Amino acid sequence: MDDPLRRDVLVHRGIYLLVVLVLLFLRLLPLGDGAARLPGPDLVLCLTLAWLLRRPDYLPALLIAAVVFLEDLLLMRPPGLWTAVVLLGTEVLRSRIALTRELSFLLEWLFIGMLMMGMFLAYRLVHVVTLMPQPGFGYAMVQVLASILVYPAVVWISFITLGVHKPGMGEIDKMGRRL
Amino acid sequence: MARNRISSDEFTRPIRRILIGILVVFLLVIFLIWRIDSPRVERFRTALIDRVVPSMDWAMAPVTHASDMAQGFQSYQSLYQQNRELREELKQMRGWKEAALRLEQQNAKLLDLNQVRLDPKLTHITGVVLADSGSPFRQSVLLNVGARDGIRDGWAAVDGIGLVGRISGVGKRTARVILLTDSNSRVPVVVQPSGQKALLSGDNTAAPPLEFLEKPDLVRPGDKVVTSGDGSVLPAGLLVGEVMQMPDRRLRVMLAADYEGLEFLRVLRSHELEVISDPGGLVGPPVERMMGPQPAPEAEGADNG
Repeated sequence: MDDPLRRDVLVHRGIYLLVVLVLLFLRLLPLGDGAARLPGPDLVLCLTLAWLLRRPDYLPALLIAAVVFLEDLLLMRPPGLWTAVVLLGTEVLRSRIALTRELSFLLEWLFIGMLMMGMFLAYRLVHVVTLMPQPGFGYAMVQVLASILVYPAVVWISFITLGVHKPGMGEIDKMGRRL
Repeated sequence: MARNRISSDEFTRPIRRILIGILVVFLLVIFLIWRIDSPRVERFRTALIDRVVPSMDWAMAPVTHASDMAQGFQSYQSLYQQNRELREELKQMRGWKEAALRLEQQNAKLLDLNQVRLDPKLTHITGVVLADSGSPFRQSVLLNVGARDGIRDGWAAVDGIGLVGRISGVGKRTARVILLTDSNSRVPVVVQPSGQKALLSGDNTAAPPLEFLEKPDLVRPGDKVVTSGDGSVLPAGLLVGEVMQMPDRRLRVMLAADYEGLEFLRVLRSHELEVISDPGGLVGPPVERMMGPQPAPEAEGADNG
């Protein structure tokens, strides 16, 4: 296990986990941001999609599932539902990695926006089917829109700080393997 | 095209897809179990939060304090204006203080005349707010007191002034307080001078609306809203807030508790109300009791003395 390539992947998985935990921690802080405030973006979702689209090997499905499930439990959401939705969404994205590699950023953004919207609608649909109370459509929609707006910033920051980027045509890693 | 996959990937893909499918089904089963038998899963969730959040306390405290300090610094800018307003208010308060003192003396006198004993059972446990709900769609806070401090589900939580919410979910070391603003919160209240009963139902806004008012005409903006104690969940008479009328003529309640700075909360110990279930026996002298000596009145007298 002294493979440097493997180590790079593991380090990035660790960083992902750390960032998610910090985000979760910040959201749990009792800062008294009470009701009637507009919901902010779902940064964990943005981060997951942005990284997955660039380097799918950094985020195995189990890690994503574990992280989102923990989030479900800590943030008092129905456990398992959002995790399943995110897992399906990320798998949709993962199976189209070859396609998205050639997209320009604008198209990627559009694609991600549509994906987020689809996940949000699926989540709400299950709420309706299982007769669960849910927040108003417009109010919840603000969060999705905020996530879509913040997405480029998340991409940019993770590129600047951690160098997470789409591998270029024929780019090889340090071991000389194709990415 | 971009078919530049490593060939081993081609073989593992179907298996991977099946495993992902199993994982998704597993998650959905958890969700369905939660939907069907929510208390058990919620207990697990409470236990998890009980384990995780207090261990983050050491990190949460400094960050919270720093942000409070930053907010305090911002408020320096409006210090002069505030100072003047406060002086103005102080002047008015002096007048009120006199009135309050007079009323307090009068009240004490009347209580003394009536020999009223306040219920000694109505005590409280104070807890510190550990964490928010973390989600914009849920309004709840986590307290650092739990089952080991004797907290039970359904007890009322107040800050210094008014009702904040009630306990829903008790872990060993933590307890969750559902705030009045949460969309799941329903509290039976009574609007004070007119005595109109209503339901305060949170809807994720800062001022929850009053619902099921029988005669909304009798309720004026500025009326006091207190808990009615109906449903025997919350004790009666806790201050909730003040009625205000929105431009669309809906009545909402401006909450008395300071929701911006929830730091310490008092959890009121409320004991189960005695339920009168039978219509009562015949009224008459109990035959056996009359025969023997009756030491009861004397013992009571000794107790009082």
